[in-house]
Amino acid sequence: MKFDSIKGDSAQYRMLMIVFAAMAVAGVGSTWWAIEKGLWVTGMYNRVPWGLQIVMAVYYIGLSAGSLVISGLYGVFGKQEYKPFARIAVYVATLFLIAGLLSILTDQGRMDRVFVEPFVYFNLQSMFSINPILYIGHILICIVYLWALFYEKKTLTKVIATLAFGWAFCVHTGTGAIFGFGARVLYESPLLPAAFVAAAMASGTALMIVLIVGLFRFTKRHLDDELIVWLGRFLAICVIVVLYFLFVENAYRAYVVELRPAAIYYLFGGFHSVLFWIGLILVGLVTPLLILFRKTTGQSVPWIVFASCLVIFGILCERYVIVLPGLTHGSEIFPGMHITQSVVEEGIASYDISYVEVLQALGVFGVVAFMFGWGLKYLKLLPSEARVLHSSSTSDSAGNKT
Amino acid sequence: MDRRDFLKTAGGTLLAGTSCAYAFRFLTSAGWASADIPSSGKKWGMIVDLTKCREGCTACMDACRHENNVAHFGDERWDIHWIKKVKVESQVGHKTMEKNVMLLCNHCDNPPCAQVCPVQATYKRDDGIVIIDHHRCIGCRYCMIACPYNARQFNFRDNEEWPNKDRPKRSHGVAESCTLCAHRLDVSRMPACVEACEQVGAGALLVGDINDPDSNISKIVTTGAVKRIREDLGTEPKVYYIGL
Ligand code: SF4
Ligand code: SF4
Repeated sequence: MKFDSIKGDSAQYRMLMIVFAAMAVAGVGSTWWAIEKGLWVTGMYNRVPWGLQIVMAVYYIGLSAGSLVISGLYGVFGKQEYKPFARIAVYVATLFLIAGLLSILTDQGRMDRVFVEPFVYFNLQSMFSINPILYIGHILICIVYLWALFYEKKTLTKVIATLAFGWAFCVHTGTGAIFGFGARVLYESPLLPAAFVAAAMASGTALMIVLIVGLFRFTKRHLDDELIVWLGRFLAICVIVVLYFLFVENAYRAYVVELRPAAIYYLFGGFHSVLFWIGLILVGLVTPLLILFRKTTGQSVPWIVFASCLVIFGILCERYVIVLPGLTHGSEIFPGMHITQSVVEEGIASYDISYVEVLQALGVFGVVAFMFGWGLKYLKLLPSEARVLHSSSTSDSAGNKT
Repeated sequence: MDRRDFLKTAGGTLLAGTSCAYAFRFLTSAGWASADIPSSGKKWGMIVDLTKCREGCTACMDACRHENNVAHFGDERWDIHWIKKVKVESQVGHKTMEKNVMLLCNHCDNPPCAQVCPVQATYKRDDGIVIIDHHRCIGCRYCMIACPYNARQFNFRDNEEWPNKDRPKRSHGVAESCTLCAHRLDVSRMPACVEACEQVGAGALLVGDINDPDSNISKIVTTGAVKRIREDLGTEPKVYYIGL
């Protein structure tokens, strides 16, 4: 199989790269503004100290861990027909992890200290300490993995792919633990890390479907529909797992008397509930599932791509409804009593996404999108074609061969 | 740049970065154990007597703000309160009970804020005071998420006011909370809020050494007539309330 790069001399390519660069510049500008003025310009405040950047960070890290899984289909499970996507999947995984790290970085009060202090004063008990190690390991592994793929090192690929696959699980379990091991009613949950992994796989697979189909169509390469149909089925399974976790989690909260008010707030308490029901459940999970399971649409590549776009959007909503309701709901300082008067906002707090945050988020996206475009042009990421192996009857049974 | 060069540069930069950070850690490991912690055998705690706290009085809050240069912008979103007064309502039978409660950092024995701090900027001193090293805090705000008492605040904005020149001016980007006026306790002075409360004649606040069986605070705590907030969480708060 031959891999090559795209020419990248079309007007569209240049336009896109300029747009991405402009987004990156806007991101740098807004971040500079936040450093200069203090983080209050992002709209965060003492009751809601985390905002859109944290939502985006966990989202990107999920996309990264998820796309790595796709590369694992070839690297770990030896599914030869997925070899064409391995390079691009690892490259995307690397980029989105960088996106996650950039989002976290731009969210810190003292960005200047982030490069040294967390490593010097490492705190083994803090999820925020453990995660950077996981993230850096993840990037290093991805780089070695890419190298092994580029130079067709068979054994190394297998070893590093297995490592990467397991590591991706750890990375996302760790990210989930930031919230799940937290002391807030709507965070605290041993299920959350596992649910995070499921959501990551769903969003990562969906992203890869969209990227692969898009790139192959745009650069006029041959792509067998069957490969995408199989990925679509894999996506459907991930979506079901995500739904299952969401159900268990919310059923538990609604059932336990102590947690019921929080459950009601979560499910029916405001903007986040709309995102939960409409954005996540209806648009992001149930509709794609119907599309993927219907015979006609489930076999059609355009429909699968459409379903994938919905999942990508749905999981973004999922990230929002994990991070923010947990903060706006606040902690119960006096159970069974009300605070009727205070100098700060008590009870349910409010949060609105601010322009600065949106610009920062776009900026991070611009940076990685630009790197993606650059990679397509300068690295041999794309295969000449992707076909189902004809030596075997179905794509599934080909998995046993190496 | 070809592939090989790109990978080399990328890998090299990352490796160099991480190893520098670790080298630095070894070089500075003396500072790691927080050498500034006095080992006095003491354990500071506080008693808040709600029955003595006066309606409408803000002496302790004002004193704290002045003593520690705590920021006040007149905007409840970003104003910082190391100590604050809230009105709490509860239903007992047919009666609605109302109480004024002072809230501040509880200087927990198991402080979740210190547990989650990724740079050990938040730590517990030997004498029980939970404190933040403002020169180390990266401003991640994880401690604010972890503290069940909402005691942690973040300097989202720069504070232009600087009434007490003996204490550092507050700058944006780091977390803060009540230090129990450790700088005063270290030189055998009472915290600013305690002093202020005494000056207005209320005497609702008391700070003392819980490890010393003869101290006033120990005598009160051991009567069992005190309560702590959210004792069920296992944080072992060191602020005790009378009349909660
Ligand atoms: S009250 Fe909050 S800030 Fe104070 S020690 Fe406990 S957890 Fe930390
Ligand atoms: S905001 Fe500062 S003190 Fe709080 S957890 Fe982060 S680094 Fe530690």
